[in-house]
Amino acid sequence: MLFFRSEEQVRLWCAERGDPIRPLVRIDQLWRLATAWYSTRLQESSRRPQPQEMRQIFAELGLEGDFWDPLSDRFG
Amino acid sequence: MEFDAVVKLTIYRHFAETGEGPKVEEVAQRVGAAATSVIESYRRLRALRVLVLEDDGTSIRMAPPFSGVPTQHVVEADGVRYFANCAWDALGVPAALHRKAVVRSRCEQSCEPLHLDVALDGPTRSDWLFHCLVPASHWWDDIVFT
Repeated sequence: MLFFRSEEQVRLWCAERGDPIRPLVRIDQLWRLATAWYSTRLQESSRRPQPQEMRQIFAELGLEGDFWDPLSDRFG
Repeated sequence: MEFDAVVKLTIYRHFAETGEGPKVEEVAQRVGAAATSVIESYRRLRALRVLVLEDDGTSIRMAPPFSGVPTQHVVEADGVRYFANCAWDALGVPAALHRKAVVRSRCEQSCEPLHLDVALDGPTRSDWLFHCLVPASHWWDDIVFT
């Protein structure tokens, strides 16, 4: 899970490694993921989002498809 | 509060206060339990995916979003320096702390430095991008690689 300056830099990085390019996430979307996961982490009631909650969080951000599905079996 | 929850909060609050992970002995002292009981709790917290341990079973590698080891993702808030496990966790640190922060990292391809000011309601506008190679269904197969 890495930062990149631009989509072109992601493409170069993936090409050099022979890896597929994955869906790109904007910084404002990443902030919303960070708050969904961690905003209660220092509180007594904190817990990680469960798979169905993860699906909902991703969907609300427009992050859909098998790549973002924690229960997908498409990737083995 | 259950023992494991007490141990978890003790670890996370130590990270929040100091930027570093606590030693088992420090956790044991704070919670008033034997180190062996704390280590057993660590194993259960690992199963819940709120803690990642080094091979020795006692050193904390990750208490997401905090990293127990130095990384390229550095967060500064109120004069404390934190290391984050990844780009996601770099924003996760100010989200967890509920404090203003500065995130410093880099473009993984060009090594161009990233400097991101994060206010209480989120980071300043930025056209940088986040990319994750591993599908969500496999993140915890090897969370250090992810």
